[in-house]
Amino acid sequence: MAQAAVRPPGVSEADFKAALKAFADVVGPDWVLISELDRNTYLDAFAPGDADSHAPAAAVVPQSAQEVQAIVKIANKYRIPLWPVSTGRNLAYGGSAPVLRGSVVLDLKRMNRVLEIDEQLGYALVEPGVSFFDLFDALQKAGGKLWISTPAPGWGSVIGNALEHGLGYTPYGVHADTICGMEVVLPNGDLVRTGMGAAEGSKEWQTFKYGYGPVWDGLFTQSNFGVVTKMGVWLMPQPEAVAYVGVSLPNAGDLPLMVDTLRPLRLNDTINATYTIVNPFRSIVDGYSMQGKSRPDIYQGRDSIPLDVVLKELAVQGKAPWNATFNLFDRDKGLDLRLAAIQEAFDRIPGAKVQTRRWHQGQPIEQWMRVQPGLFALGIVDWYGGPGGHMNFAPVVAPLGERVGELYDSIYKRFVEFGIDYYCGLLNVGARGLLVNAVMFFNRNDADLMRRGRELYKVLAKEFTAKGFGDYRAHISFMDEAADMYTFNGHALRHLNERVKDALDPQGVLAPGKQGIWPRSLRDKKGRA
Amino acid sequence: MSIRMILALALALVAAVASAAEPSLTPQQQEGKRLYNHICVYCHSPGVWGTNRLSKRMDKEHAVLENRTDLSAGAIQTIVRTGIGSMPPLRKSELSDADVAAIAAYLTRQNR
Repeated sequence: MAQAAVRPPGVSEADFKAALKAFADVVGPDWVLISELDRNTYLDAFAPGDADSHAPAAAVVPQSAQEVQAIVKIANKYRIPLWPVSTGRNLAYGGSAPVLRGSVVLDLKRMNRVLEIDEQLGYALVEPGVSFFDLFDALQKAGGKLWISTPAPGWGSVIGNALEHGLGYTPYGVHADTICGMEVVLPNGDLVRTGMGAAEGSKEWQTFKYGYGPVWDGLFTQSNFGVVTKMGVWLMPQPEAVAYVGVSLPNAGDLPLMVDTLRPLRLNDTINATYTIVNPFRSIVDGYSMQGKSRPDIYQGRDSIPLDVVLKELAVQGKAPWNATFNLFDRDKGLDLRLAAIQEAFDRIPGAKVQTRRWHQGQPIEQWMRVQPGLFALGIVDWYGGPGGHMNFAPVVAPLGERVGELYDSIYKRFVEFGIDYYCGLLNVGARGLLVNAVMFFNRNDADLMRRGRELYKVLAKEFTAKGFGDYRAHISFMDEAADMYTFNGHALRHLNERVKDALDPQGVLAPGKQGIWPRSLRDKKGRA
Repeated sequence: MSIRMILALALALVAAVASAAEPSLTPQQQEGKRLYNHICVYCHSPGVWGTNRLSKRMDKEHAVLENRTDLSAGAIQTIVRTGIGSMPPLRKSELSDADVAAIAAYLTRQNR
């Protein structure tokens, strides 16, 4: 994993040195990291191949928006590509590594203040280095009246996760929807505030998203148009009660039935938080990872683990093939009504089972409530033996059973063709969207398995482009392929993104290639020549 | 009781133990303990990922880093910065060199 000297492409050694010196004048010499040991800490820890292909040239670690402004101006002067990361824990999507080899990582982790918590209005104002752990702790200290929505691993950034369209498991689980007001350093170093923050002295920055005129917040998510240095996030008031619901269906072909049963319950808000449908194989893996077991404990073949082996193991564990889990948040009486409606819906299906448990205000928070961050989910990455990693293909589909079933089966065929186990969770994004999150695990010592995984992603992206699907998020190695899926009118959306990019960032210094958006200077070569 | 509930209780127990003062610790070890319980514990408390991985190579008690008596400060400092197995490295922006030294001092406190 040792790196040879890495330099930003097209930048002379003298200019690079001058830029590093200028960065050091802003943040102090200790926070411009250029040693091989330090640079290696920014490599993709779950790289599905050679991590060096996305190696950064250095990292610079500011502590304030003003320092970010100064760094961006220096980057423009010397044409240094910057790759902003908040906590750098976007594992499976590249971690802290840039798309373009030789970029300088703009590490925002030291900007880690929870600037404001308002329990009356249910929001916080945070900096990008604030992790879900940090915000949880801060909210507890503030009185515990507000709860976070956290993704499975809690070490990620509250801002970064929302910007990358991450998900949690409460009514506030679509994290991009909870954004209210941003402070952004633009690629030329200008500082702007969106929404009501644009009104000097406004007290409503975190309470009204729209301000006056175009709503810009969305343009700074999954993009490379600015560096978000502060963000408002709406938070859920602690509910009176929470209920866990686990439902299971008995047949291997029951996915469409599960989808069609959950859809109306989610659409009318009986289910008022994100649900996860777990495929048969995932039910085994999730249980195994909690026990420290991995693939060799159940199967030794190099092929995709056969469905009959999966079903037999599920029977041994007393689990049904299809399971869905979600939590409900309400007053106790409200939960009674919601649970009765859910029970009634599944009672119509022979062999369906519904399990529940309850929590009430005053009791200790429990792990199943998924409102306290943790790192439990990481146990699964060693499925093929360590050191593990994974990448995902997660096309968006409407929650219609037949359509979801066809998509799921088509992906399954490709996993079998490439000899990779099919770990899949289907997560709803709001009431009308579903992600079929197909996860490709690998062992980083198994070059052949990683090669198959990379090829599988490309084949899936191409196949489902032709069928009108799009991936919702992608690893840094596949951002171009994911962007290519959005084909309408000769990739008109990409052309619009590129026009915005050129207008805001004419030098192309900010995160070249992120989400497949390349600046003019690198567009033909896509940074790889 | 489900596995998740057991894990939640185990974490709560770890936190409770962590909050109890250990007067025999040096100030650096106290700081290391605080950082350990803020950052490392999520993978290295009983019953979770890092501990489960280590328990494949040693008995369960010693798979919990806090219980070890054979760790070297140098090895801890190297592993934190380079990562090991599926554990990613931690950067200086997450833990300074002084922070890592404090954690190492805490985890080597029982060395014989």
